[in-house]
Amino acid sequence: MSTRHILLGLLAMGPRHGYDLKHRHDERFPQARPLAFGQVYTTLQRLVRDGLAEVEETGSDGGPERTMYRSTDAGARELADWAGSVTPSAPFVANEIFAKVVVAILSGGDPAAYLAAQRASHMQRMRELTAVKSAKDADLTTVLSADYALTHLNADLRWMTTTADRLATLTAEVEST
Amino acid sequence: MNTTESAHGQPLLAARGLYKAYGSTPALRGASAQLRAGEIVAVTGPSGSGKSSLLHCMAGMVRPDHGQVMYGDEHLAHASEDRLSELRRTQFAVVFQFGQLIPELTAVDNVSLPLILGGTDRRTAHGQAHSWLERFGVLDRAEARPGELSGGQEQRVALARALVTGPRIVFADEPTGALDSLAGEQVMTELTAAARELGAAVLLVTHDATIAAYADREIRLTDGRTGALEVSA
Amino acid sequence: MRGVGVRGGGASGGGVSGGGVSGGGVRADLRLAWLLTSGSDRREWWRIGLTAVGAAGVAAFGAMAAAVASVHGYVHLSLTDGLLDAPGERSGVLLALLLLLVPGLGFLGQCARLGAVHRDRRMARLRLAGAAPVRVRRIAALEAGVACLAGSIVGSAAVAACVLYAGRPPARLWWLVAAVLLAVPVVGVAVSLTALRRVVASPLGEVRRLRGGRGGGRALALGVFLVVVAVSGGILAPAYGAAGLAPMFLFWVLLLVGAGALGVSGGMARLAGRRYAARAESPALLIAAERLSADPWAAARTHAAVLLVTVAGTGFVGVRKALLEGLHHNDYGPTDLDFYTAGIDLAGAAVLVGLLIVLVSVAVSAAESVAARRRALARQVAAGVPRKVLRHAVLLETALPLAPALLIAGAGGLVVGIWYASLVGHEFTVPYTALAVPPLMLAACLLSVATSLPLLRRSARPAELRHA
Repeated sequence: MSTRHILLGLLAMGPRHGYDLKHRHDERFPQARPLAFGQVYTTLQRLVRDGLAEVEETGSDGGPERTMYRSTDAGARELADWAGSVTPSAPFVANEIFAKVVVAILSGGDPAAYLAAQRASHMQRMRELTAVKSAKDADLTTVLSADYALTHLNADLRWMTTTADRLATLTAEVEST
Repeated sequence: MNTTESAHGQPLLAARGLYKAYGSTPALRGASAQLRAGEIVAVTGPSGSGKSSLLHCMAGMVRPDHGQVMYGDEHLAHASEDRLSELRRTQFAVVFQFGQLIPELTAVDNVSLPLILGGTDRRTAHGQAHSWLERFGVLDRAEARPGELSGGQEQRVALARALVTGPRIVFADEPTGALDSLAGEQVMTELTAAARELGAAVLLVTHDATIAAYADREIRLTDGRTGALEVSA
Repeated sequence: MRGVGVRGGGASGGGVSGGGVSGGGVRADLRLAWLLTSGSDRREWWRIGLTAVGAAGVAAFGAMAAAVASVHGYVHLSLTDGLLDAPGERSGVLLALLLLLVPGLGFLGQCARLGAVHRDRRMARLRLAGAAPVRVRRIAALEAGVACLAGSIVGSAAVAACVLYAGRPPARLWWLVAAVLLAVPVVGVAVSLTALRRVVASPLGEVRRLRGGRGGGRALALGVFLVVVAVSGGILAPAYGAAGLAPMFLFWVLLLVGAGALGVSGGMARLAGRRYAARAESPALLIAAERLSADPWAAARTHAAVLLVTVAGTGFVGVRKALLEGLHHNDYGPTDLDFYTAGIDLAGAAVLVGLLIVLVSVAVSAAESVAARRRALARQVAAGVPRKVLRHAVLLETALPLAPALLIAGAGGLVVGIWYASLVGHEFTVPYTALAVPPLMLAACLLSVATSLPLLRRSARPAELRHA
């Protein structure tokens, strides 16, 4: 996930303070990890360094210093390029679950029990996400981000189900090599 | 398991050690399951694992070869057809993938059917049917026949018919199976919300984990058997 | 809730037999039957319409019989060319009308079996909504009753209008017509209830017919038999007196032969099915045999009326020959001869009308069978079974059990004809023309079944599989 592009995207609405940007991000992407203030300011400084954003004004109003940033033309082009480009369809998926299954077989553990426990955990998380999105006051942003997570968890689950069905063959294969 | 039992009280419906074979093909080979009042439980498992058979046995639509189904203190496996019909009319309700509505009757008559069969006069029955159709957003289709409804509307009418009698248990067998995922999720949201409001328990058979996630917990079937937890319960 | 109270009362009384039914229950059932009938789509209306037509026919025959029976002594009626003027001829007409009731009732029974797939599915859905088996059967039977009542009103009214046109009938006749009008829907409901007695619709839609062996069918046949004995005995006895017993006897012998032929048809279906299924070389024969052994009595049920008409037809040809020869021997004048020939030909016309009714019902049930198996047939075609094979299978399915049964029925009818001829003419003659009746019947039936072949061509297309 590219934080700089997301901040550029939020700046496309008009000049913003760093503080403002953080809150807008958290509101817009409720299921994502919240941004740290430090990360926001570092990223903004890098954008300015690369000429993609510039400082609109620096006011202090007697309180802490507040810097207003805005996007440059170069920033707008960069943003358009990023938003229009295809996200690489991850050629190598780091798969911790699969690694654990293989390790369990190698070390004489119980991969079936592990998969069942992992399934239960995934289901639990899916129930929580479903509860979040079917709450009466859930807005579409919440629903869609929950759906994204649910769909991925569901994909994991389906993979775990077919793997559990083929554990015997997998065990034979792993142990023979 | 004792802690959960005492927390939720006596099970409303309990199946123990169910066996059922169709010809020489076994569907259930020692399945057990419990449903407590107001609880939403998903029955999941691969195709042919006996999910639907478990639901049919627990709803009293099929008699198991062995094992018992207890509804309160009543043995459903030994209940008369008339008693089972009465239960279906008053305390149980079913929602299937499709095909539970009668094509000759309008939506509102379909929803009223269990009430009319129970002796309610048609006007009163229609009143209740209308309010359920309204709740599920299909009141404007009240006079349409099932053939004129879209899949999503048909399932909403089926939900209205299932809930119009104020059942204690709703048996739902792949209720979203014929719908696309968005329509399916809407139907599930409406079903679970209405069931929770009525305090009705739901036994939900599905092969889809995103649908099963609408439930409070999951019963997993493999080759006609439930997991160790369900057997000891 | 009001419903709970009603249910509590109903359930405590009810075993599976469920004898005690509150009036409200029947009213609600009638209401549902009406809703189900009025909500049917066009294909169902076709079935309801046929049932109504059958009921109209039965009611008309019944009302006409009542009208003829109500005439006493020698009268002069302008409408009927003197045919009804004398008691002797009237009794012949009465017999013909009563005989016509048989194919009429057969046709009604055929209509009850139409749309069975559709009806069974609907019964299952009613069960799913919480209707007990007894109630589902009652609702289905009431549906038949509604259609029969409509037909009965039309049929009785038409006869009543004719009677009013012909003269001033006694008040007793109106009671009889009213009784016929009401009896037809009652019989329709009773026939449906009996037909559905063994149909247990599970709420999941797998309809299974309880196999109680052949005993159930025999009991049913015996019941119908006794009812007809009682009814026609009641009407015929006053009309004939002691002298009229010979035609009565004839009537019953014919019925018995028909029942025997029916048993032959069912038995042949079972035997031929099993035999050919095991060693058939041609695919068409294999398909036909498998379907026959799966349900041997389906064919017998369809062919019951065919066999009865064959018996009646063969017997009639023999009787006609004997009567005509008798007339020639006795040297009647040409006018008298014409009169008697006209009477015999009238009876012949009645047999032909019966034949027509029967052939229509054979065609209807063949079409129904193809329509009900639409998807299965389409699947077979999609899997590469040539349509020609399916066509042959449909025809073989009819011919295999029907041909031997027709032989038996024809032989029975022939014997009756010879027996009657020997009674009348005191000599032994063989009515050779009667020999042609069974093969002609087989040909006519196969032609009737062939009317469903265009439907087969249209139905058995892989494209059908796209529609649910």
